[in-house]
Amino acid sequence: MKLVFRLAILAIVCAAFGAQAQDRVIRIGVLMPISGPGSYFGVMGKEGIDLALDQLKGSVSGYRLQVQYEDSACSPLQATNTVKRVLDQLKPHIVIGEECSDASLAIAPILEQAKVVQLNAGSVTMKLTESGYKYVFRIFPNGEQQGLPLGRNAYTKLGARTAVLLYEKTNAGVDSADGFEKHFVAAGGKILARIDFGRDVNDFTAIATRIAALGKVDVLPTFGLEGQQVRLSQALAQARVVKGGGGSAVQMGSIWLPYGYDQKAGAAAEGYIRIVQFDPTEKRKIVQDFVKAFRAKYGAERVPTHINAHAYDTMLLVAEAVRRGATDSESIRDRFSRFRNVEVTTGKISFGPNGQTTDLSVIHFIETQKDLSWKGLNW
Amino acid sequence: MSARIISFLIIIIVVAALPWLLTTPYWRGILVLCAMNVLLALSLNLVIGYTGQLNLGQSAFFGIGAYVSTILVKTYGWNFWLASLAAVGAAGLLGLALAAFAVRLRGHYLAIASLGFAVITYQVLINWENVTQGVRGIYGILPPVGSTSALFYLVAGIAVLVYVLLDNLVRSPIGDTLRAIREDEISAASLGINGAIWKAFAFGLGAAIAGLAGCFYPGFVGTLVPDAFNIVESFTMMAMVIVGGMGTMIGPVIGAVVLTFLPELLRGFGELRLMIYGLALMLVVLFMPGGIVQAWMALKARIS
Amino acid sequence: MNDLLALVVQQSVNGVYLGCLYVMVALGLTLIYGVLNQINFAHADFVTVGAFAAFFTATRFATKVLGLPDTGAYLLSMVAALGVGALLGLAVNAAVFAPLRRGDELRPLIATIGVSVLIENGQLALFGPIPYQFDSPFSRETIRIGRIFFSAQSVLVVAVSAAAIAALYAFMRFTFLGKALRAVAQDRETAGLMGINPNLVIALTIIIASALAGMAGALLGPVVVLTPFTGASLIVKAFAIVIIGGFGNVQGTIIAGILVGIIEAFTVQYLGSGLIDLVVFVLLLVMLVLRPTGLIAERKEENV
Repeated sequence: MKLVFRLAILAIVCAAFGAQAQDRVIRIGVLMPISGPGSYFGVMGKEGIDLALDQLKGSVSGYRLQVQYEDSACSPLQATNTVKRVLDQLKPHIVIGEECSDASLAIAPILEQAKVVQLNAGSVTMKLTESGYKYVFRIFPNGEQQGLPLGRNAYTKLGARTAVLLYEKTNAGVDSADGFEKHFVAAGGKILARIDFGRDVNDFTAIATRIAALGKVDVLPTFGLEGQQVRLSQALAQARVVKGGGGSAVQMGSIWLPYGYDQKAGAAAEGYIRIVQFDPTEKRKIVQDFVKAFRAKYGAERVPTHINAHAYDTMLLVAEAVRRGATDSESIRDRFSRFRNVEVTTGKISFGPNGQTTDLSVIHFIETQKDLSWKGLNW
Repeated sequence: MSARIISFLIIIIVVAALPWLLTTPYWRGILVLCAMNVLLALSLNLVIGYTGQLNLGQSAFFGIGAYVSTILVKTYGWNFWLASLAAVGAAGLLGLALAAFAVRLRGHYLAIASLGFAVITYQVLINWENVTQGVRGIYGILPPVGSTSALFYLVAGIAVLVYVLLDNLVRSPIGDTLRAIREDEISAASLGINGAIWKAFAFGLGAAIAGLAGCFYPGFVGTLVPDAFNIVESFTMMAMVIVGGMGTMIGPVIGAVVLTFLPELLRGFGELRLMIYGLALMLVVLFMPGGIVQAWMALKARIS
Repeated sequence: MNDLLALVVQQSVNGVYLGCLYVMVALGLTLIYGVLNQINFAHADFVTVGAFAAFFTATRFATKVLGLPDTGAYLLSMVAALGVGALLGLAVNAAVFAPLRRGDELRPLIATIGVSVLIENGQLALFGPIPYQFDSPFSRETIRIGRIFFSAQSVLVVAVSAAAIAALYAFMRFTFLGKALRAVAQDRETAGLMGINPNLVIALTIIIASALAGMAGALLGPVVVLTPFTGASLIVKAFAIVIIGGFGNVQGTIIAGILVGIIEAFTVQYLGSGLIDLVVFVLLLVMLVLRPTGLIAERKEENV
């Protein structure tokens, strides 16, 4: 009789624990462009998140991390469909996404209405954190945060007086170019031309020729994806516009360019100055550990890019929020808004009142040397 | 009651019941998308299936409908319904412009011309930034009715109306005229059929219907970017018409339903999704040329 | 040389180079159309596959396994790309064009759209979306004559395309097979009556055209941004060139290709690269209105 009684109590206690264990889940929706040309971002984003999940062994502080990936294909239509799908099927506490500005903006109002946190690690558009959304958090530097140091330092530190803007014809490209222009002109500089190019442009010789004919150009701020930037730099060098080709103009770039760009562009990359947020050669332990783990998982010849790093960081932040006691969307939002100097591979995170990361101390300038190595500039 | 009226009533009942069967916002959203695709497929089928004109540029009219209605509402404060009317008119006019090419061109020439039309429209949407905002996009667009199921009933209701309209049209002497043009334009001319006028009619009407579908698109997504109307969309529409069964009335409907739901159901396959899609397209064209409708007829014939 | 003249000459040189690249892509397309009256929508994807084949041959196989120097490796990669293109042509002919020989014009077009989707996403699964850095020993060399510059790659492209065109011309003019090809292109039925096997000739044409596409990939690889989607950025312009030059007309395609290249360069100079597609397609539509059969009119009578 006593045995049965004890067994019963044991069974009840086990069931209770079991039920509780089932409740201790953090549900994370991830919207990434996995198909189409946007998969450039999505594939790398997924790599970063998968690596983080591996390292966390799928759980934090006793809470299981349940992740559902959806392919939002960089388009507002797909993004809204998949965000609704993930809200229906997973009922997530937080959604990470998207990469492309259009898609990120499209899902923001939906997540806002559903009171689910949106953690963005890839979009540049100012509108994401300036539309009054209370559930949006972004760790990616926006157009203004990149444009200000680039524009101002081009004038003050580099001594540039004339610039030609080169940017891809997307929301992100336009916002970045605007950011540079605003601050360069405010400092006293002059924009000689704004030249945009679609993502399907392959040959940049005509553009380089046009720039060569514009007279003295001091700086060429460029905002585009690495594939096109390599060809652009090569064309500019060929036209003897940039330093790497014997010219005098300096190419300036945003954090979009990954490590390894210089090797691909070759001699044309000499003299390229850009801001870097994720630097795989940085000595900080968290960065080195990340690079090591990344190579162990994805191959020794790979070097992680900032897209890998940003995505990886989103999971670190979620984990940190959970460690600080977050168990659902509201508490995640609360912990996020109180983050001060939480260390991740791309720097230290403190979210401002509009959800944008405010600490840009990790962002620094580097210049590509003749041997294609990076030299830090103390700007 | 005739078979037609019975099947019509069945369709009405099914359509009315759908939001009750699929209750989550996600699936209801897919239903709205499906209804829009039905409209698009019907519009294209009129031009390609019944009039025999190779039109690869239907996405242009879809885009014009979306942009004109949205700009009129957002920038000029028009009422949604008036704006949609204007948008449909604009799309129809553009369709007439394309028809001007159709009068002089045939076959693949017309196909590429229509493609060119679509590319030009797309590029105008991207570059005319003062009016369309270009790649920056237009945000915060509200649908004309509050809930998703209401939106579905609205669009599906319109689709049913358009279906009935077109069904009657193709059964009428006008339909015979269009089919005559499709089969043999020169012989048709010898019968006194003015190919130019009827082509204009088909293109204009087809464009107007596509424009009508376009009016509901921005409110559904909430965001409007030019990229939604690149030429790949034309191919998707064409695939719906062909997979369903070109030149029949129910074919495009079936094609739209299948090709709206199939990608969603394939989402579990991740990276393979689009490969399966391409393969399916190839196989249907190779082995079921008349589309699903023909396969169904063949099956029925076998059984009976 | 004064500044304006130097600029005009340089942009013309850029345009000719670009144009030759486009010609290499469009040539195969026009050949297939000439003999089959069909558009292979996957043609530009064959170019991409050729480029990848060349890339892996040049950077992995030829240098690491065979130990060839860079130049030899690159030339070998061109041959490899040629072969891969030919195989693709064989495959698509067997799978799509041969079975759909009898039937309407639209089905093979749709089927090849399916092939295109399949190839693009297959490459995506195999190679991933990150661009591959393909440089050849020629693309790294710049030749300067006075103030004008061009890469050695451009000389190679012009030389190879000229050689290919000359070889094609000789083949069509002087060999039995070539004459058979022209016969089939002019009048398939009569050619058949004269003892020529049209199916064999058509298959051969598609193989040659696709081999050209593959080789174009090897030449383009060091110029373009090499991703699985490179084909998509080329195909629509290739169509435009084929139409402007006249479907099936090799001379016309060459002239049209170079013309489009030059127009593109000058559009970038004076209007902005965002407007390239717009200008090219407006030109296309103008051409279709004024001279639908293309720059060099082809006398093709339509039998009533």
